[in-house]
Amino acid sequence: MTAQIPSAEPADRVSGVVAAAAVPARPISPLRWLGWTMVIVAAVFPWLGGPFYTRLALESLLLGALALSVDILLGYAGLLSLGQAAYFGLAAYASALLYLHVTDSFWLVLLAVSALTAAVSLLLGAVAIRAKGVYFALITFGAAEILSKITHNTRALGGSDGLIGIPVPSIALAPGYAVSLQNDMVFYYVVLVAIVAIYLATRRILDTAFGAVLLAIRGNAGRVPYLGYNPFWYKLLAYVLAAQIAAFGGMIYPMLRGFVAPHLFGFEMSTKAVVMALVGGVGTLIGPLLGSPIITFLESFIGSYTERHLIVLGVIFVVFVMFLPDGLCGLVRRLLTRGERRR
Amino acid sequence: MMRNAQALGVGAATALLLSSASAVYAADPIKVGVVTPLSGSYAPIGKQVRWGAELAVKEINAAGGVKGRPFELLFEDEEANPPVAVRKSEKLLQQDKVDLLTGTVNSGSTLAVGQLAERNGRILVTTVSYATSITGPQCNPNVFRVNANAYMQSNALTGWLTKNVPGKRYFFIGPDYEMGRSTISAFQADIKRLGGTEVGASFPPLGAKDFTPYIGQIRAGRPDVIMTATAGNDTVRLLTQLKEYGILDGKLVLAGAAGAVTQENIGAMGGAGEGFLSAAGYSIDINSAANKKFVDAFRAEFKNDPDLFAADTYGLFFLFKQAIEKAGSTEADKLRPAMEDMSWDTPQGKKTIRKGDHQAIVDMVVVQVKGDKFVTVGTVPGAEAVGPDTCDKF
Amino acid sequence: MEDLLPYLHFVVLPQVIDGLIIGVALALVALGLTMIFGLLDVINLAHGEFYMLGGYAAFTLVAAGMGYWSALILVPLLIGVLGWGLEEVGIRPLMQRPDRAIVTLLLTFGVSLILRDVAQVVWGTETHSVAAPIAGISNLAGALVPNYRLFVFAVGVLVIAVTWWLVYRTQIGAVLRATAVDPKVVSSFGIPIRLVYGFTFVYGCGLAGLAGVLLAPLYAVFPTMGHDFLILAFAVVIVGGMGSIIGAVIAALALTQVHGLASLWIPPVWAETLVYCVMLLVLIVRPAGLFNRLGEA
Repeated sequence: MTAQIPSAEPADRVSGVVAAAAVPARPISPLRWLGWTMVIVAAVFPWLGGPFYTRLALESLLLGALALSVDILLGYAGLLSLGQAAYFGLAAYASALLYLHVTDSFWLVLLAVSALTAAVSLLLGAVAIRAKGVYFALITFGAAEILSKITHNTRALGGSDGLIGIPVPSIALAPGYAVSLQNDMVFYYVVLVAIVAIYLATRRILDTAFGAVLLAIRGNAGRVPYLGYNPFWYKLLAYVLAAQIAAFGGMIYPMLRGFVAPHLFGFEMSTKAVVMALVGGVGTLIGPLLGSPIITFLESFIGSYTERHLIVLGVIFVVFVMFLPDGLCGLVRRLLTRGERRR
Repeated sequence: MMRNAQALGVGAATALLLSSASAVYAADPIKVGVVTPLSGSYAPIGKQVRWGAELAVKEINAAGGVKGRPFELLFEDEEANPPVAVRKSEKLLQQDKVDLLTGTVNSGSTLAVGQLAERNGRILVTTVSYATSITGPQCNPNVFRVNANAYMQSNALTGWLTKNVPGKRYFFIGPDYEMGRSTISAFQADIKRLGGTEVGASFPPLGAKDFTPYIGQIRAGRPDVIMTATAGNDTVRLLTQLKEYGILDGKLVLAGAAGAVTQENIGAMGGAGEGFLSAAGYSIDINSAANKKFVDAFRAEFKNDPDLFAADTYGLFFLFKQAIEKAGSTEADKLRPAMEDMSWDTPQGKKTIRKGDHQAIVDMVVVQVKGDKFVTVGTVPGAEAVGPDTCDKF
Repeated sequence: MEDLLPYLHFVVLPQVIDGLIIGVALALVALGLTMIFGLLDVINLAHGEFYMLGGYAAFTLVAAGMGYWSALILVPLLIGVLGWGLEEVGIRPLMQRPDRAIVTLLLTFGVSLILRDVAQVVWGTETHSVAAPIAGISNLAGALVPNYRLFVFAVGVLVIAVTWWLVYRTQIGAVLRATAVDPKVVSSFGIPIRLVYGFTFVYGCGLAGLAGVLLAPLYAVFPTMGHDFLILAFAVVIVGGMGSIIGAVIAALALTQVHGLASLWIPPVWAETLVYCVMLLVLIVRPAGLFNRLGEA
């Protein structure tokens, strides 16, 4: 006997970061337009931007992966993670260390980082998921803080200075042929293709029964066992998946910037990812990929005019939480739907 | 075209002066990117860096610039966060096409931005970072340092302490992270070498609020001197708590890293920092005409006293001027040889850049806190303090 | 064995005593947090900033000439009013949403960012301090304890006792506890729920402000000081049980002892990790925390 009475209010009032299970959070047609627009803009961007902006956009793609991982957890499983940066940082450091001391091979690093992330996320997830909603947020936050502190204090990991000197890799595609990422544009397109692929794969995974069960858990976790599903395993799987995506972003970071530092585990990083997901639109998967470049570029511009960027970020965040909880995607959806209705 | 972020009257006045100064010159300005923490816990340092830069540029431009070309400053906030520092520096290098970079404060930022500067063929000079590794094992041909590094500080301070303090029992306390530990180990090694006795060493976590557990250890060790590597708020807490527990009454001598007690936290000590000794490359009471002129101009312009960060940044621009005039270019490959081995005048005297590691040789002063001021009590010549060249990358 | 007794006396005992004092201060901060969560299901991530603002308010009032004692009374009231403002403007509009626990968490997070930067704008970036109003040291069975810390302990214990009395022995407290269980029933009695919520926020934030005033002479005042206690306070609230007053107090005392004693034997950074692991352990074994919520028996 829950209060899930279908509302007679117009669609734009059914807002909320976590919408009712009855309303699927997949993009309907209007968002498909948005998705295509984003891909096209992203594809032509390097030709318009110049090297600095191309690399900034590259970084925003990596952060977008982090934000996407937040969205998978928040928008589908109803779990707010305030520590996704733990995986971003973990992958970044692992990638950096491997490139500095062990190997040149991109694929080997990818494999090793994925394995490491899977192991850690299984362990941490198994513990954290047993906790309800907001406790989960605090546990994930604590985990990232602890990792940050450990890195900060360990000389072998570079301590508070971090590690520098990570080389730009080449990706071996066939014996004798490798794509070097030295060229900014090549690097950009490689990552863009990878992110789009990740997005599509995630969409595919979540469009199945697996995703439906997650949504059901988010809507009313208490009922799900009666349907025959054990929420624990579903949430854990979602958590591990999200960690892998965050790790992908983290793994590429040192290749782009040539260094790693404990700040990559930091609270600012995790919470920025949440802001990106929120601003873009939680539960849409496209949202975080929209929110990331917006926030990244916005911060770059704001920083030139004022040091008070925290206030600006905070105000944007508060405004979105209170008035635009379904983010920009929700806004787009509403505008386009209204437009269609008029016809 | 100065990008001043805050609409302070001071900033506006400087901007006005600078734009009127640059209006006189038809020549291209020399753009200097200053990536420094303007927000967050390191903001006090960034503020001094900024002021030092602004004053220097104002004076140089008013006197004709660098062969007719004025300096132009572009500030970006690095938030003491290396990923942000790198992003902002890349913007300065590639979008704004700055000729030179400076301003980074924490070592992680300096190392990462230095790497970036090398890739972009530009020179970065740090005026604050004091991790020895920057001009040591992790040196970079495009990175220079004009301030005294941790080794120099320890060298000068421990030398003075062992000569002037009768007691030989030393207790060390430093924040439990890489920078804190390496600063303390430099102190420990030097004290041991000079014949002092270590009676204890503690490493509270960075940002520790409560030093009570360590105070017990200090009391047990009965030291004559406490040397600390804490900074900012940690120092305030440590010293006020030492006073609270009555440890500071008596003949105990307080000493530590130059960053432990500065303009920015001395006001909060409530007298607990009285007598604190440190060695630095600068002190406000250095008795030279150049320094008096600098301090007076600084006070007039910013209504505040300068500290070592401001002084070192101020001095840097005169190095730039001299080197650019000699090299005729701001490209790294041409500027670098001009800067190496160059000597130039600063408020604290003559500095010389050592070619082998790009570290400036700086005469050190031992300063003591008296009331709310810093007073010089001793000096150590630069050549003696600077230590060996441990850079072998170029 | 001969070394053990002096060790216990001169190293462990002072540590325990100091831990008690800090634990009481932490309890004040955690109390406010747990009350707000227990009653409103709201996680106030800006709580640390209210503590910070309490410290700054104390600094400003004392610097303006008002004595420390007046500041001690006035500041919690001021901060409480600020908390009420947050509740009215930010929290209440969001209380209707089904996902309000998460949304209010996000909101208070945004507010904490803003407040931190505002503090830097208003008071500058330097560290400030407040002189301790009581000087001198007492000797407690061989452990030296500054008198001002004893004062902090006394005030803390007093306030905790008053809070317990308020919640469990007064009419207001009964209303609070009933609202935690079922707000609709309470409002059907004609009691305005919004006042109940408002009062809780005022009280909770006032406690944080009080902690800020009390600790300012010990820990100095600077914009990021909110972080000092936030993580630890949340650990306390989780371990003690969200919404439990007794839980917050006991967990605060226990965790500070764990942290303090562990710091004697292992590097401090691992001591924090230890506290975190304790938190995880409690969550695994007893997810609701050690004690029951405000509303439950």
